[in-house]
Amino acid sequence: MGKQRVAVVGIGQTKHQATRGDVSMAGLVREAALRALADAQMTWADIDAAVVGKAPDFFEGVMMPELFLADALGCTGKPLFRVHTAGSVGGSTAIVAAQLVQAGIHERVLTVAFEKQSESEAMWALSLPIPFTPPLHAGAGGYFAPHVRSYIRRAKAPDHIGILVALKDRQNGLKNPYAHLHEHDISFDSIKDSLMLWDPIRYAETCPSSDGACALVLGSERVADAAAADGRKPAWIQGTAMRSEPTLSAERDTVLPLGGALCAADVYRQAGITNPRKDVDCVEMYVPFSWFEPMWLENLGFAEPGEGWKLTEAGVTALDGDLPVNMSGGVLCTNPIGASGMLRFAEAAMQVRGTAGDHQVDGARRAVGHAYGGGSQFFAMWVVGADKP
Amino acid sequence: MFVDQVDLSEARAPTSVRRKLKPVLLWSAVTDTTQGAGAGEILSAPLIIEYPFKRTTGPVIGAFLTGLRERVLIGSRAEDGRVIVPPAEFDPVSGNDLTELVEVGPAGVVTTWAWVSAPHAKHPLDRPFAWAQIRPDGADTSMLGAVDAGAMENMQTGMRVTPVWADEREGHICDIARWIPESDGGNA
Repeated sequence: MGKQRVAVVGIGQTKHQATRGDVSMAGLVREAALRALADAQMTWADIDAAVVGKAPDFFEGVMMPELFLADALGCTGKPLFRVHTAGSVGGSTAIVAAQLVQAGIHERVLTVAFEKQSESEAMWALSLPIPFTPPLHAGAGGYFAPHVRSYIRRAKAPDHIGILVALKDRQNGLKNPYAHLHEHDISFDSIKDSLMLWDPIRYAETCPSSDGACALVLGSERVADAAAADGRKPAWIQGTAMRSEPTLSAERDTVLPLGGALCAADVYRQAGITNPRKDVDCVEMYVPFSWFEPMWLENLGFAEPGEGWKLTEAGVTALDGDLPVNMSGGVLCTNPIGASGMLRFAEAAMQVRGTAGDHQVDGARRAVGHAYGGGSQFFAMWVVGADKP
Repeated sequence: MFVDQVDLSEARAPTSVRRKLKPVLLWSAVTDTTQGAGAGEILSAPLIIEYPFKRTTGPVIGAFLTGLRERVLIGSRAEDGRVIVPPAEFDPVSGNDLTELVEVGPAGVVTTWAWVSAPHAKHPLDRPFAWAQIRPDGADTSMLGAVDAGAMENMQTGMRVTPVWADEREGHICDIARWIPESDGGNA
């Protein structure tokens, strides 16, 4: 028996903000899950299994939170599975959920990813001091800044590219009612003048810390066909891939990680994509710091090495461009870390379902969702389309 | 010589002091490695990991904690009619929202217990006591508590106990300082 078809038939997310003081961790997860169920026109009873993802447990200080979230996800007595792959976890969680349907094990799987960053300090949680090793970085930005600097040098990219990405994503975020940041007064100059946090990454080129959750309902071909017959378009999953590589191996290229390139090649092969630049209508990729847009454009094969920034500069990646990138406003507008990858995957699915509202790309039929995590070492991607694979 | 031994003693410094310092500044090499480590010399460096965790408790667990501050025990009524204490936010069977809050106890019945003959520093009492599951009156589930019964001979499954509230309460489970046998003096 070959792989079964699987589609996204329900999507839900919370309103993301710095502190969701009105809900518990369980209440936050549930809010996204209930919206996904409503979108799929299902109840808890319809769900066969749940797959939960989040970034490191010490971000909130609750070990294995999936155990106490079973009630909140209507999962008592049902299979409940936890995934953890650092920042890419939202993507890999959705992929694991999809595999449960592809393998013919379940027909309707709920998958949820979340982070409640207000309950701790992810910035310092990502700055673990190591005895007898000089403290080299403060937060993820400190870790990634040298990668960005290296990219700028290798690609001979002009300084303002990062600012252009930040401006585009923050303006896209204004069209997304769920986005954490809605900065109406943002401008090229306000970004340029913002504090330099980790040279060359400015404050306004940096993602926020958010509370939020995202949920998807994945259905078998039978379930998705029924939804389509009812006028609710499924997003068919045309390919999924995950790759990882060690953080500190000496030969590793952190600007163009091999794991990311292999992940992209695998998912394109599954989806029958031979020229991603032409065959893909829009991309939602994991860009927590502005410069990662041109870097990932190259890593994912949308541009040759050293050429990614030219797409950004030419406006190709704008919402009305030839290859829109981060239509939702991306991680730069919303970053509940564990959910951030799934939000990318969800946005890709919303685009091909035609349900992305004001940030909809006209006629989007095939979209890529991408997430990365750790020290640019965990990668997860999927290709979703309006058409069955 | 690299020795994977870390000194956690500073982790017991007053919280107020530690919070003033950025975690990354808390780390500092305290060992002079330029001399070379001789036989038997153990290198050490403090490794202090602390994050200021907070909890948003939500409408149901939050009500329970607020109740403790007011010397009231709160449970929630499940769809099958059972009263769950501490309250569950969602029905453990159907997963639906549980919104009916019910005041219970505060006195209750010991359903099972274990005697602690030699309490350690982190236990709630500095004298022998019983960890007990206590089902407050009107509740269908039991919750953990420390019963200050004096001697193991005074403990019995089915005995009635009542909470002794802390003088200063802050909406925390430790607002119940201890439980005492009801025969020892009712609502202390």
